Amino acid sequence: MEQFIQLLIGGIAQGMIYALVAFGYNITFSTSRSFNFSHGNFLMLGGVVGLILYINNQIPFLAMVLAVVLVGLLMGLILYKTSIEPSLKSKSNYAWILATLAFGIILKNMVEVFWSTDDFRFDSPLGNAPIRVMDVGVLPQEILIIVVALCIVVAVESFKKYTIFGKAIVAVSEDKNTASLMGINQQFVILFSFLLSSVIACLAGILVAPITMVGATMGTVLGVKAYAVSIIGGLESGYGVLLGGLIIGLSEAFTARYISTGYKDAPGFLILILVLLFLPSGIFGKTVIKKV
Amino acid sequence: MKKNVLAKLMGVALIIVTVATSFRPSAGDPIKVGVYGPFSGGSAPMGLSMRNGVRLAVSEINAAGGVMGRKIELVERDDEAKNERGGQIMQELLFKEEVSAILGPINTGVADASTKYSNEKKVPQIINVAAGAKVNDLFATTPDNYIFRIAANDYVQSEMIVREALQKRKFKKPALLCDDTNYGQGGRAKMEAALAKRKITPTSVGKFKLKDTDMTAQLQEAKAAGADVLLVYGIGPELAAIANNLEKIGWKVPMIGGWTLSMSNFINNAGKNGNGATMPQTFIENGVVNGKAAKFLAAYKATYKEKNIPVAVAAAQGYDSVYLLKMAIEQAGSTDGPKVKAALENFKKGYTGVTGTYKKPFSATDHEAIHETNVMMGVVKDGIVVPPIK
Repeated sequence: MEQFIQLLIGGIAQGMIYALVAFGYNITFSTSRSFNFSHGNFLMLGGVVGLILYINNQIPFLAMVLAVVLVGLLMGLILYKTSIEPSLKSKSNYAWILATLAFGIILKNMVEVFWSTDDFRFDSPLGNAPIRVMDVGVLPQEILIIVVALCIVVAVESFKKYTIFGKAIVAVSEDKNTASLMGINQQFVILFSFLLSSVIACLAGILVAPITMVGATMGTVLGVKAYAVSIIGGLESGYGVLLGGLIIGLSEAFTARYISTGYKDAPGFLILILVLLFLPSGIFGKTVIKKV
Repeated sequence: MKKNVLAKLMGVALIIVTVATSFRPSAGDPIKVGVYGPFSGGSAPMGLSMRNGVRLAVSEINAAGGVMGRKIELVERDDEAKNERGGQIMQELLFKEEVSAILGPINTGVADASTKYSNEKKVPQIINVAAGAKVNDLFATTPDNYIFRIAANDYVQSEMIVREALQKRKFKKPALLCDDTNYGQGGRAKMEAALAKRKITPTSVGKFKLKDTDMTAQLQEAKAAGADVLLVYGIGPELAAIANNLEKIGWKVPMIGGWTLSMSNFINNAGKNGNGATMPQTFIENGVVNGKAAKFLAAYKATYKEKNIPVAVAAAQGYDSVYLLKMAIEQAGSTDGPKVKAALENFKKGYTGVTGTYKKPFSATDHEAIHETNVMMGVVKDGIVVPPIK
């Protein structure tokens, strides 16, 4: 029984990490029908900056978090200006895919060239000793991940629902042109969504760092898995990613234990295929009819 | 008129060919040696330490006048631990740079994807880290084999790991946990064979991927099967994740595994959870007292200003591989591939290196310099690898 609970907690924590990263895809997809394909590398940058400031230079934790938020804002702005805006302007449907991918490759290689190619340990501010209840060990960082991920998703979704600016975001995602006619600055809403998404990615970087270690490649696999999560949950549904994250996180944990460690990733991707076949816009997604 | 032009063109072509062939390396030109390994990514500490060891030996040799009056020039390439990069790099080194010999690589998969090019071009290659790569196994398909190795191979390693676990420490129920790369799965197969020789089957066989950080499921499987020792095969970051997850689920079980348990990114990332991890080593930095190894260590630290060598084994083997090559070229009196190979297979003088003393490191049928007598078990203790307590 304690084995089961241990796997359950591990799976939930892993799932929340996926959900948080996937949430970054959702935010921008809903406003601009595009997202940052290098989201994982933004997460990596957050982790690396956090490590340099907090571990290597002993800057207070909150100051480090603030600095990481600033880095996220800056990177979001650069990404928007270099990769998203030109692509949206040119009415190209797909240029942003390659542009954001390239941006991420440059980012990752710069980190490797100017910083390091190694993986580093990031000690959790809450300590590395697991809390042990009965025979189940839980890392304090795992609890923090679950709490913070839930808070961020709920906060952003509430913001969209209950504030004027949030409603403007929803309006843009419903129908860009009508929103513009109603006096909503469409460009600004899209820029804002990219800033928000990139800040969340960078914060996720420091959040997962104590579990994954920090290195130039820490975001690569996370980015891909999170992409699958947001497809399963529905690219336009905020709460959907939570479910998608849980599906992937738990299926990984239980498959590895009860079927085979070699097939760990199989059920998650099987579900992805099934979702694409039968619910193409995700479990929580709205079916959009594109008028031609 | 037309004939005239053709004749002129042929003349020009003839001149080009003569000039081009006269640019063949001659005495006085540097001897080009290719070095490749992962200088970025999770395997990078091994690649960088190996390269440092190689560079150190080359600068010593060049300072002392080179090999037969010719300086050694290194051509370094980063294979990023990617198998396909290994093949591309080898083609570049052999056919474009026209190197006289090749040192490296680190990763088993990269080595297996690239050694065939050395054999094709008949250029000797000394593998100085990759433990799982095919070396003597190649004789079956390529009797004229140019691949040599100075590193404890997987047969040596798994035999020593299993002996340490079963005979020396009297464990009865080993569980295997290996990554899904060529290195990890090769090690798994060889450890299973070494166990089968002793009529023991592992209680469980787990698998993990590079970059996995949650090993809870694998460890629970091993624990539920009643294992009393973990035999592991992987590289630093994931091995550290195993040690840290053991602490999380509160299971105290000894870890014995491949030499990669001595990698800096295992020791640093596992912290105190890594204490007690045991692995075969050809060189232990903190066990050095005197002789050539002490000299090497002093020179290494003076050059690279590292407190502990990130991967001391790779540095030492890299260093020794250069000297073996140098002696072979001198004995052959030429950089011609087949002649150097013949010299490597039949050393007239013995070689005392950092990793041990070799009377005759290689023979025509055995291209492995390192056997069990050259290898000892090291133990992780508070951030460093120490020799076993006697």
